[in-house]
Amino acid sequence: MSDETPAGRDASGRFVRRAAEKANAMSQTSREGIHPMAKVLFGWTEARNIGAIIFWGMAILSVALILVDLLIKRHETLDFANSTGFYGLWGFGAFTFVVLMGWPLGHLLRRDENYYGDAGGPPQDIDPDIAAPGASAPPRRHEGDK
Amino acid sequence: MMPAFLAALNPGWLLIAVGLIAMLLPVRAVRQAMTIGAPLAAIALLALAPHGVALSGVEVVGLDLVFYKVDGLNFIFGLAFLIASLLNAIYAMHTNDRIQDGMALAYAGAAVAATFAGDLMTLFIFWEITAVTSVFLVLQAGTRASYFASLRYLAIQVLSGVLLLDGIAYVHRYTGSLSLDAFTSLNEPGALIIFIAFGIKAAFPFLHNWLQDSYPKASVVGAVVLSAFTTKLAVYAFARMFPGQDALIWIGALMTIFPVFFAVIENDLRRVLAYSLNNQVGFMICAIGIGAAGIGNPLALNGASAHAFAHIIYKALLFMSMGAVLYRTGTTKASELGGLYKSMPWTTLFCIIGGLSISAFPLFSGFIAKSLTMSAVAYEGVSDPAMVIVWLMLLFASAGVLEHSGIKIPFFAFFAHDSGKRVKEAPFNMLLAMGMAAFLCIAVGFPALVPGLGYTWLYALLPYPIEAASYKPFTLDHVLTQMQLLVLATFAFVLLRRFRLYPAEKPGIILDTDWLYRKAGLGLAVWANTVWAKLGPAMTDLFRKASASTYNRLEAAFSPRGQLSQGGLTGGAAIWTAVVLGVVLLMSFVTSQ
Repeated sequence: MSDETPAGRDASGRFVRRAAEKANAMSQTSREGIHPMAKVLFGWTEARNIGAIIFWGMAILSVALILVDLLIKRHETLDFANSTGFYGLWGFGAFTFVVLMGWPLGHLLRRDENYYGDAGGPPQDIDPDIAAPGASAPPRRHEGDK
Repeated sequence: MMPAFLAALNPGWLLIAVGLIAMLLPVRAVRQAMTIGAPLAAIALLALAPHGVALSGVEVVGLDLVFYKVDGLNFIFGLAFLIASLLNAIYAMHTNDRIQDGMALAYAGAAVAATFAGDLMTLFIFWEITAVTSVFLVLQAGTRASYFASLRYLAIQVLSGVLLLDGIAYVHRYTGSLSLDAFTSLNEPGALIIFIAFGIKAAFPFLHNWLQDSYPKASVVGAVVLSAFTTKLAVYAFARMFPGQDALIWIGALMTIFPVFFAVIENDLRRVLAYSLNNQVGFMICAIGIGAAGIGNPLALNGASAHAFAHIIYKALLFMSMGAVLYRTGTTKASELGGLYKSMPWTTLFCIIGGLSISAFPLFSGFIAKSLTMSAVAYEGVSDPAMVIVWLMLLFASAGVLEHSGIKIPFFAFFAHDSGKRVKEAPFNMLLAMGMAAFLCIAVGFPALVPGLGYTWLYALLPYPIEAASYKPFTLDHVLTQMQLLVLATFAFVLLRRFRLYPAEKPGIILDTDWLYRKAGLGLAVWANTVWAKLGPAMTDLFRKASASTYNRLEAAFSPRGQLSQGGLTGGAAIWTAVVLGVVLLMSFVTSQ
């Protein structure tokens, strides 16, 4: 099919059509399952050494925020919160504590998926096109069953 | 000019009526037009409703029932419920499920109707309707797990309703009123029972596990719908009837903390969101507890209301994004996911916006809402050292929110290790609903570049708009300290991952308080049944032998051939009977004098 606009038609139609085709192409997942917008929005996450870049980037940003705190006189309601870097250190400490507590708590509280006897497949309103993992394998036993 | 009957129509009633009709409609397009149109019409009705007057009601058997009354407190909750209902209807458009469509709308309607109720009895009626309608959203998942979970859910929700009714009976017995006036003390008649009834729905610590048990087992759409209403209705009820109750401060602070530890080890990302919901409601409950004391009064109740509004939207957004993942991949287990940004970039983007909002990054809705609560608690801390501890607990929980909802959810679903799953992007209607929610998260959290828009739009709708207008969230202090908290916490994540100190996502379920009734309680019942099965026949045999023996002895004594008829006075049995009768008559005569 020719891309030429027939004589006597508004040339803007071609622009609109191409824009629509482009938008359509950007919304179609490729045969490999890669969505074209993935590259636009998150292609940067595939950069080489992205792990190191994020690590050092966050480290520098953290230090910068503490340094800015040195230059600014804050007026907190609670006096001790005026200490330089208080919020940052509290956030760092709290996050680290929560995550590290995950190790002993996981050992203490984690049980088999079918511990209550109700393990099964996904809900019935998932995409009918996909093979529901686990749906074909009935649970070994059910809660309340003998 | 609106017709009088429309002006008096509680928007929730409209939603319930349309929901029930929709449930009977087989034509999908008409049904979906109704489920989208009804919330829009309801928002219009609400916008036109005058504040502070009873717009409809009736007197029944001496009880003054007020069906519809709008004021500064319930307006913001009702509006958030209606917006959530609209988003839910759009999100569900790819499905063709009459029961789900109808019940979702009726459930939202019941929550709205309860919010605008002007008396305790009307509140109770719609409180119960939320329980009955919402259970279908769990059931519609169609799995055995959801069936059992829905039974447990219904039992606990009905228990809340029964307690509420019991408390209302006390209140009416002692005060003769059904008004929604706030209690000043938990020692007032009925106050403690109503407090516990509300606490069950708000998922207080140790009463919370119905939430993590049922929501993750609901259908894809059902979990999104469920996330908006029940717990926030309870938050509204607390704000209405228990502002300034000290107990709420500590209960709320505890609620912000404990779910964080469960969320970090939970593998099912929808259950992580359920714990996150618990944690967020804790902030609101704590703010309500601060509510009536000193300078923090308007700021704290504004904080709880703003937080509820923002939370309903961003939590729905997060549940929607996980719902989209579940819809396309069939799972939300972190151990089975990863790398989905390649297939679902829009869903990834919307999930990140939800994560930024709930973590309270500046320019997102959580920031302008949570700042109010944190400032209110800090003000109380000046005069009360105990409130400093509460403030530190909330600050700790803020880092915890970032961990489970800001980082864990988007990172393990869409990035982390590539699971190799290559699926289609979410259906357009799901993306549209997520896009609308994401827009609201940003629009509400943005500075007021245009007067009346951005965060000032939300602040103007709060219960104390004048006090809200004087509060400035975008000060250098606020932005800097919040960024410090979040950036250094994120750096902790990067550091822990780099040194392999972050626990791996492993399959399995995490024990919680539901173990008490699902394992220990069930075990006790099974044991009692077994014991009875063995003991029963033995006890029956013992009883039969004892009965036979007693009969034989009586027969041996009193029958015509019995010992009392043998020898001595003739008819000894008759004489003894006469003696006993005489004694009875004598005693009756003496005692009657």
